[in-house]
Amino acid sequence: MRRGLLRYFVRRTAFAALLVLVVSSAAMLLADLAPGDAFSGFDLDPAVAAAERHRLGFDRPFVAQYGSWLGRAMRFDLGESVKYRRPVVELVAERSSKTALLGATALILATVVGIPAGIFTGSRRTLLTRATSAASLVILSVPSLVTSFGLLLLASRTGWLPVGGFSGGADGSFWLTTGRYLVLPAIALALPIAATLERLQSQALNDALADPSVRAAVARGCSERRIVWRHAFRLSLTTVLAIYGVIVGTVLSGSFAVEIVTSWPGLGALMFEALVARDLFLVAGCAAVGAMLLAGGILLSDIALAVADPRLEELA
Amino acid sequence: MIPAPRGTALVPGRRRRIGGLTLCGLLTALGVLGPWITGHRPGDQFGEFVYAPPSAPHIIDADGRLRAPFIYPLVLEDRLERRYAQDRQHPTPLRWFRRGALVSTDEPSQPWFPLGTDALGRDQLARLAGGTRLSLGVALAGALGALLIGALAGSVAGLAGRPVDDAVMRAADFVIALPAVYVVLALRAAMPLVLSTSQVFWTISLVLSAVGWPFAARGVRAVVASEKAREYAEAARAIGATRTRLLLRHLLPATRGFLAVQTTLLVPHFVLAEATLSFVGLGFGEPSPSWGAMLREAGQGRALVEAPWLLAPALAIVAAALAVHLSVGPQPHALRADRL
Amino acid sequence: MIKPLLTVCLASLVLSIGCRSADAPATPASSSAPASGGDLVASVRSEPATYNRLLPNGQSAATELFTLLTQSRLARVNRVTDELEAWLAEAWTLGADGLTYTMTLRPDVKFSDGHPFTTDDVLFSFRVVYDPGVNSSLADAMKVNGAPIEVTARDARTLTLRFPEVFAPGLRMLDNLPILPKHRLEAAFAKGELAKAWSPSRPLSEIAGLGPFVLAEHVAGQRLVFTRNPHYFRRDAKGIQLPYLDRLTLAVTPDQNTEALRLEAAEVDLMMNADVRPQDHAAFKRLADQGKLRMMDVSVALDPDFLSFNLRPARAAQRRAPWMNLREFRQAISCGVDRQAIVNAVYLGAAVPIYGPITPGNKRWYSADAPSCPIDRDKARALLAGAGLTDRNGDGLVDDASGKPARFSIITHAGHLRERVSSVLQEQLRQLGIQVDVVALDPGGIAQRWQAGDYDAIYFGLQASATDPSLSPEFWYSAGSFHFWNPSQKSPATPWEQRIDELMREVATTPDLPQRQRAFAEVQKILGEELPSIYFVAARVSIATTARVLNPTPAPQIPQLLWSADTLARAR
Repeated sequence: MRRGLLRYFVRRTAFAALLVLVVSSAAMLLADLAPGDAFSGFDLDPAVAAAERHRLGFDRPFVAQYGSWLGRAMRFDLGESVKYRRPVVELVAERSSKTALLGATALILATVVGIPAGIFTGSRRTLLTRATSAASLVILSVPSLVTSFGLLLLASRTGWLPVGGFSGGADGSFWLTTGRYLVLPAIALALPIAATLERLQSQALNDALADPSVRAAVARGCSERRIVWRHAFRLSLTTVLAIYGVIVGTVLSGSFAVEIVTSWPGLGALMFEALVARDLFLVAGCAAVGAMLLAGGILLSDIALAVADPRLEELA
Repeated sequence: MIPAPRGTALVPGRRRRIGGLTLCGLLTALGVLGPWITGHRPGDQFGEFVYAPPSAPHIIDADGRLRAPFIYPLVLEDRLERRYAQDRQHPTPLRWFRRGALVSTDEPSQPWFPLGTDALGRDQLARLAGGTRLSLGVALAGALGALLIGALAGSVAGLAGRPVDDAVMRAADFVIALPAVYVVLALRAAMPLVLSTSQVFWTISLVLSAVGWPFAARGVRAVVASEKAREYAEAARAIGATRTRLLLRHLLPATRGFLAVQTTLLVPHFVLAEATLSFVGLGFGEPSPSWGAMLREAGQGRALVEAPWLLAPALAIVAAALAVHLSVGPQPHALRADRL
Repeated sequence: MIKPLLTVCLASLVLSIGCRSADAPATPASSSAPASGGDLVASVRSEPATYNRLLPNGQSAATELFTLLTQSRLARVNRVTDELEAWLAEAWTLGADGLTYTMTLRPDVKFSDGHPFTTDDVLFSFRVVYDPGVNSSLADAMKVNGAPIEVTARDARTLTLRFPEVFAPGLRMLDNLPILPKHRLEAAFAKGELAKAWSPSRPLSEIAGLGPFVLAEHVAGQRLVFTRNPHYFRRDAKGIQLPYLDRLTLAVTPDQNTEALRLEAAEVDLMMNADVRPQDHAAFKRLADQGKLRMMDVSVALDPDFLSFNLRPARAAQRRAPWMNLREFRQAISCGVDRQAIVNAVYLGAAVPIYGPITPGNKRWYSADAPSCPIDRDKARALLAGAGLTDRNGDGLVDDASGKPARFSIITHAGHLRERVSSVLQEQLRQLGIQVDVVALDPGGIAQRWQAGDYDAIYFGLQASATDPSLSPEFWYSAGSFHFWNPSQKSPATPWEQRIDELMREVATTPDLPQRQRAFAEVQKILGEELPSIYFVAARVSIATTARVLNPTPAPQIPQLLWSADTLARAR
């Protein structure tokens, strides 16, 4: 088992590295295919633009540009952003910690709220559970742009919390300040995730209750709490964990709108800038971080899946 | 046995189905009847009624007398502040089946907007109805595609051994990690400038299917892999059931609950995603209404507080998600059904 | 070239021969006298990618603002009064040849690091901006008809600037050019590594400037904190050293809706893009009535959006719709659109109808005599008939001679107010029987289609670098790279464009202002008849700040308030 685990780990890490490489390359290719480039626009004289394009080597065919990028990427040099004229690694590093903080908080929040809510709505049918399920559907039906803005509006009218932005460490109490600024974006990001988890968990638990093993437990006269938590919950974990990894991986793309609306200085906002500016290397760098997060999330969820459901031959 | 819910065991399931189908019917009716409800086309602009609030029909007039349904016309008080007043002196009667409209006013200068108007003074109800076909159609087509591909890929991965499993699941990871916006930008550049509605419809459906399948695939794979190790599947295999039969007869039915909940998750998600795609140029062109684009509008500025009726499409999406949830979801196996 | 958000230069500096007095400009009077101290917070939508305005990527709005705050120029155009003011230069004279200026620098001026400012720094800055290796985004704007200004120093305080030809806007051009510290940048420049010198990767202490503030802190994606430059050269009328503020913070807020909310919550005191959007007006007004905000009407905006048709000959040749190149067709559109309806619906009344590129906000250059055509659908139909477009089959749509319905596409800016205007145009033209497809794209997509000439019409806007038309040659001359409807022509494609070229030469090279205005009025008249671009509305600019902001001097162009950040003060 232990050697198997090690092999499994090595194999998955290799896959993760491949994923990062393929995704960032593909993102670069797609950004190159998108109309316009970093130098076209209504603000730069075409002659200046042409000279810059030539100087920075962006007038070469894409394959040549990609080749030299790949060569450097092997040495962990992701090139230089055209917009900022700074190394992509530096720019991405500056922002990643903020997104990680936001994403982790939102995930914890969503899990702590969504999973128990799902167990609750999946195991009972009362007015309250129906209301909870309905609330999930409502949250899923409102764009996160609108939710975030609604929360900001609330903050602005009540003055309870700062209206977006981030100024952690401005004064002595770093965590207190950070926390205050973190609340709104974290809630905005967590709401749809919590709703998704609630729906998934609810359905999975509901399915699990129909399982013969659970019925047997019911027939044995086990207490309701024991049935739900011991038997059904364990069974329901299969699908929830399978999707959970993907959710972890898509937190970054989900934080896009939330970060921009709440002025959270994270990677999502940078990714958007890179896209608008057609900043090829920055696009590739951001995509690489996204792929890393996803690979990590999926790996974790697969391991958890294997632990929760020993019947899967995953780690064998 | 699980204690049977109050009443007979079958009734709640059937009631759910009926509820779901009724909602579906209502949404269909909205989509089909849309243009004839108020007689306004989704693109008609009433420049003097920008951000007009919904006006309710009345049947009791100022003197407390019962009359045929009428509305109080809106009078613009302050354009910049978007303030309207009701003209209580001149109630305008509502007419049925006039000028090709189910219900309308006699005065062309005093149109009735049951759900108010948007930033260009367009009838929100007409747009909501007009958007039903496009938004729901795209979302349902996209969800169906995503589920089909996902179920197929997921069951193949779950049944087959490691090499196939790895290949399929890593492909899924790749699709999830690739930012869809880039794909759409590149795709849009390769397409002609002006796209017909059906071109947009099918392109968006395809993009949504392509983007959505990995979620379904991961769940289906987990269920299939877990179920195939169970006693009944082992038994079925032992008596010589083929893989296909095993899959179709035993394993896929086990994923039904998961697929149903995926649908309820994907439909609202895709309706909203369509608006994001229109931001990078792949959307139904003006003046075609779509729920996602209407909601994006609602997120602008302070419409949330000052024009909350712009959020009506969100309710429509909830209704659609609920309809899907009720009509395709399996019957709940609640441990205890409390009195409602 | 047209650089968005470049410094405003209102034209018509009278090139008088002789000495020009150049006292330090007086600060505008205010009800409560400003005093030193305190801090303000302004919101910005993006942060500077580079700290050096002269670099090729230095043309962004954020770097522009950074430069206004931390650097100074030889002469400044006051964006409220329109006058050219002596700034780092103390005085100048124009020689008898009409080409050579002799300029004296202000004495005892120091950079923020204490290093004395001399003519060496001016020479250095000109050398950098013209250097082909630097490829400065400002180079074009600092040239007259493609030729550079020759700058020589007589001593540490005296300069001569020789223009290649008589140039009516004259020293207004200097408003563009920040004077950079030679002692800080020379080494990097010599090595060809200027781009690396002042980048956010390097310590902030390497930056020095002659502006009112120095950058004390820059946290990526969050904020830029500026503190007062202790060596700043300006004093107010009472002799108090400027800037009044001890600290100015720029809070990065990418989303415009959030920006408005932060102003409402008084988390920021003013916005860099300070103009109030129509939809924010009601909420701001309520807060203004409570005394929490202050609102000011400024004027009509200077750079209106336009509907520009693709008149490139290559496009016309491949197009099977010859009517699209006909003047009558464009005139029909101008006459067939109810501009007031756009004003009412999209701008909620906070705009004015216009008929040409120069709005009434540009007082010196606006010509009220330019042709206009208020809504007249009958006239529009007659014009369409003149272009061969009539309803031939009674379906309500106008058709060309071959019976094909008239249909064209408008590319517009997705998610922008321009998208709404395009929708109104679509609806109004439908009433004339013309089918319009509105295609909303992101700005990169628009730029690419425009450069490739792959479009019928675009609804867009450009921010002119200056209000003096002679400072935007790239737009006006047929050879200009931003001659929007048919750029970079080898020779004028039409007689009227040739006439405009001639008139613009006259506007650029005639010292006499009334004569320049007359020539330019004729240009506006020609544009009003030919309508290569159709203009519909210009917004009315009003701005809002919190009650803490004292001594604001609002101008119509961005940054409406921060252009004179040194005289902004904080209320006690």
